[in-house]
Amino acid sequence: MATVPLAHYLALASALFAVGLAAVLVRRSALVVFMGVELMLNAANLTFLSFSRAHGAQEGHAIAFFVIAVAAAEAAIGLAIMIAVFRSRKTVNVDEVDALKY
Amino acid sequence: MNPQSLHWIILLPLIGAAINGLLGKRIGRGNVHLVALGAIFGAFVVSAAALWNVSFGGAEKISQLWWHWFTIGSVPVEMALSVDRLSATLICVVTGVGFLIHLFSTEYMSHDEGYWRYFAYLNLFVAAMATLVLGSNLLVMFVGWEGVGLASYLLIGFWYTDEEKAYAGRKAFVVNRIGDFGFLLGIFALVALFGTIDFAELQTAAATLIPSAVLQGGVFAGWTVTAALTLACLLLFVGATGKSAQIPLYVWLPDAMAGPTPVSALIHAATMVTAGVYMIARLSFLYVYAPGAMATVAVVGAATAVFAALMAYAQNDIKKVLAYSTVSQLGFMFIGVGVGAWWAAIYHLVTHAFFKACLFLGAGSVMHGMKDQTDIRLFGGLRKEMWHTWATFGISTIAITGVIPLSGFFSKDAILHAAHANPNLWFSWVPTVTYVLGLIAALSTSFYMWRMFNLTFNGERRGMKEHHAHESGPAMTGPLWILSGLAVGAAVWGLPLASGARFERFLHGVFAPAEANLRRVTELAARELGVAVPPAPGHDLAAMLPGYLIALVVALVGFGIAWYLYLGPGKGKSALIAEKAPGLHAAFANKFYVDEFYDSVVVRPLKGFARVLWQVVDSFAIDRLLVNGTAVLSGWVAQLFRYFQDGNVQRYAVVMAVSAVAVLWVFLF
Repeated sequence: MATVPLAHYLALASALFAVGLAAVLVRRSALVVFMGVELMLNAANLTFLSFSRAHGAQEGHAIAFFVIAVAAAEAAIGLAIMIAVFRSRKTVNVDEVDALKY
Repeated sequence: MNPQSLHWIILLPLIGAAINGLLGKRIGRGNVHLVALGAIFGAFVVSAAALWNVSFGGAEKISQLWWHWFTIGSVPVEMALSVDRLSATLICVVTGVGFLIHLFSTEYMSHDEGYWRYFAYLNLFVAAMATLVLGSNLLVMFVGWEGVGLASYLLIGFWYTDEEKAYAGRKAFVVNRIGDFGFLLGIFALVALFGTIDFAELQTAAATLIPSAVLQGGVFAGWTVTAALTLACLLLFVGATGKSAQIPLYVWLPDAMAGPTPVSALIHAATMVTAGVYMIARLSFLYVYAPGAMATVAVVGAATAVFAALMAYAQNDIKKVLAYSTVSQLGFMFIGVGVGAWWAAIYHLVTHAFFKACLFLGAGSVMHGMKDQTDIRLFGGLRKEMWHTWATFGISTIAITGVIPLSGFFSKDAILHAAHANPNLWFSWVPTVTYVLGLIAALSTSFYMWRMFNLTFNGERRGMKEHHAHESGPAMTGPLWILSGLAVGAAVWGLPLASGARFERFLHGVFAPAEANLRRVTELAARELGVAVPPAPGHDLAAMLPGYLIALVVALVGFGIAWYLYLGPGKGKSALIAEKAPGLHAAFANKFYVDEFYDSVVVRPLKGFARVLWQVVDSFAIDRLLVNGTAVLSGWVAQLFRYFQDGNVQRYAVVMAVSAVAVLWVFLF
């Protein structure tokens, strides 16, 4: 069985990261921005695992688990913030939530 | 007397000052008086014991090492006190006259709210003056020197709510500081020359100096001993002109009359202002090596004596007349120390302390009886109402004008005789000049003193006619009588005897080194110049007689003019003179515009300079440009950058992403 070369994994991860970043930067809905963040985290996970597999080392797996844990916590807090914001402002559009300015 | 008790002369008044200064407001008037007078009387008892010891107790000098102060380089500076006959005389005058003036003040200041502050300052002054007199090296003396300046400042500006009086205090302090700077430089010069500041060590070192030797190494490398010592002595003399109110730094003393009158008696007549004379007498063994400095001292003294006496002519403030008189009499003392008649100068210092303190206190008594009025044009005929004041004032006036047989006659004429008779190899014109100026000053003294006396006590009342003057109480007249008694009695020490006056013999041991040095210097100079060695001034009574007669005539002429113009047939003529020569009168009345001259030459340029420093350097450059400028600049920059923070998190994210890419780009490629 032919193995998939490392570069392919990395290309996929980069693509995922780019999509995530684009979502974070351009989408107005906080929910979609949030999903972009998740994509970027998973792109990072994929990179870790690819290198881990390519080098036969186990540290990458460990870090991936950490990232998943952090992502879960972040999702919980992020969603809670979003609900709180929606309750007070009736919107989750990030360009309308701009009270912290000069 | 136990030599280890000298420090009590300083400590007792200092403790008194501390108690009165800290607690005086609470402990009540009676206790304040008790503390102040007790402290000063204790100091007087110790001083008298010291005087007794050095006079009759065998040792002519008592020394006490209080504590080791510090060592600078290889020069140890001890907090050491010593008493010889010179300083014992002076310390007795300071504490004795000081006690009488304290006593006088208890009544004079009885209506003043700040009496406790007043007595604290007076005690502080006596402590400082005692330090000045007792110090056995130049730095201890300097501590006292500064201390009396401080006490003087506090007392002149005692009524500090009056801006003019507060200004007089500041003026005295600043002018004194100018002199003190010279004094300090003089001390440094002596340290550089001798490596010691101890009077005894300086005296030993001075005994073997060769005037024409050229110094090797040190600050004065290449200078002759004479040149270096002349510089040092002149610098010290600058200090003396400040403290003792000589030209050009006398201007503070007349203004110092802003303080309470007993203060003028104690500080600005009897004690502090004599510090310069004392210092030069103390260092006489060095001054004789600097003929130029000696001549300067004598000529400045003579010029001051005349100049100040002339300024007293047209003063109408009773205290101002006495102030200029003090400046003038101090000039006499400087003639004395300048021509080598140290004992005569000190003798005049002592007699002057008696009669001038009496005069000032008498003026205080007059003011006390006349609602603090000081204008002699409003007085007149006070003899009837204030008999004690009139009598004591009169005795002291006779003494100061130099009429036989009171002490002022002998002390002043001892100086004039010495000025005339002591040869000066280097500056042969000095004896003539100082003698003639001294005679003019004596004539003037007689005139203005009798003018003031006649205007105040004789004739008829000219102003304040509805006011009945009351004689002061015994606490004021008592000191007046004691002081006038001393002014009369002190004459015994100055009687010209075949073996020299008693006071001269008394101080012989103190000034013997100076005389020996002077003898040596004179002999060396005579050999160099190829002239005969002038004989030492002896006690030829026949030679002194003409001088005495001249002085007496001069004093009587001054009295005659004053009588003619202000009491006798010439009454009113003085107004005529003022009318005929208004410019002349204005010049006299305005003290020859010296204050105005200093104001435009020194004070105003300095003020202008200070204004530039204040407004341009401080207010503008530092405050506005540097301090506020930094803040304003940060503000501007922040103003620019705040627009980036618009609350749109996605823009932040873009900046972050682009920056991260840029950083990666830089690091990776």
